[in-house]
Amino acid sequence: MEAFEELVARHRDKIYARAFSMMRNEQEAVDLSQEAWVKGWQRLKQFQGDSSFGTWMTRIIINLCLDQLRKHKRQRTESIEAMDEDSGGVERQMPVITVNPTAGLERAELRQRIDKAMELLSHEHRTVLILHEFEEMEYKQIAKTMDCSIGTVMSRLFYARRKLAALLTDLKKAE
Amino acid sequence: MDYDAQLKLQAYLDGELPEAEAKDMAKCLARDQDATVLLAELKNTRQALAGGEMPRQLPESGEFFWSKIEREIERSELSQPAPAHESLLARWRRLLVPVSAAAVLGIIILVMVGPSNSSLAPESEVASEDSGSFVYRDESGTTLVWLSYPAENDIADETGGNRL
Repeated sequence: MEAFEELVARHRDKIYARAFSMMRNEQEAVDLSQEAWVKGWQRLKQFQGDSSFGTWMTRIIINLCLDQLRKHKRQRTESIEAMDEDSGGVERQMPVITVNPTAGLERAELRQRIDKAMELLSHEHRTVLILHEFEEMEYKQIAKTMDCSIGTVMSRLFYARRKLAALLTDLKKAE
Repeated sequence: MDYDAQLKLQAYLDGELPEAEAKDMAKCLARDQDATVLLAELKNTRQALAGGEMPRQLPESGEFFWSKIEREIERSELSQPAPAHESLLARWRRLLVPVSAAAVLGIIILVMVGPSNSSLAPESEVASEDSGSFVYRDESGTTLVWLSYPAENDIADETGGNRL
């Protein structure tokens, strides 16, 4: 148990950060991280060491967050944004951003803007970006994790990137 | 550029296209200005995201967080059924299944063989009804003598016989 406490101490911020990035709610992120650590303890024998312990725990928290987001989704109606995406049109009407909206920004400022822009995305689009850009998953892995087709992953990723570019441009204009 | 081509362009950027298709896409980019501009936008966004994730710290103390986890682990371990009980139940189940199957099979055989094949039933005759003894003989020559006890008639009572 002491060794596990040490592992928690070492990875707790990273696990919490991933939960927060997906849920965008502090209390929910704390509760889900706690649940992830309890699950981690219960499944410790299943950890084969194919990946690092941190990566293994990250997969657990991602799955818990996805389950939670699905529960939320069942409680509310589909967002207009998601319906637009399904009908396949919004991102085609967005003008291409020719000027890099993050050029010349300091790292701290860049992170803040990205964080702000990510918050404005729907959870489906935010999640696909997190899994692809931060967790460096391939399309196939994302499809499996999110329980959808590779085509849906590609479509969501495309929309998320284009929307994020537009949001970053708006933030640059507003500065 | 149609939507499928745009998604293909993105897959090219992400290294998800097979080699032959990636070569075709590179050729297409050389002559399609719209595709080149879109690719630049997608690349900028990807570069901004690389290393652009906000680091965050757990908003409560490590000790408090661990105490909650520890408590939850202990609670979940206590609520689990004892493995000894589980295995006993499993053993009972394993035993009951073949016994039940054998019993059902036995009943089926009795029902089928018994009443429908009366010719195979053991032949019986009453050797001496008064004395309360019965003799059964079957086709294989097996003989079974049955003496009723206590005596079922008055003669047996009077003679005081058949007391075994």
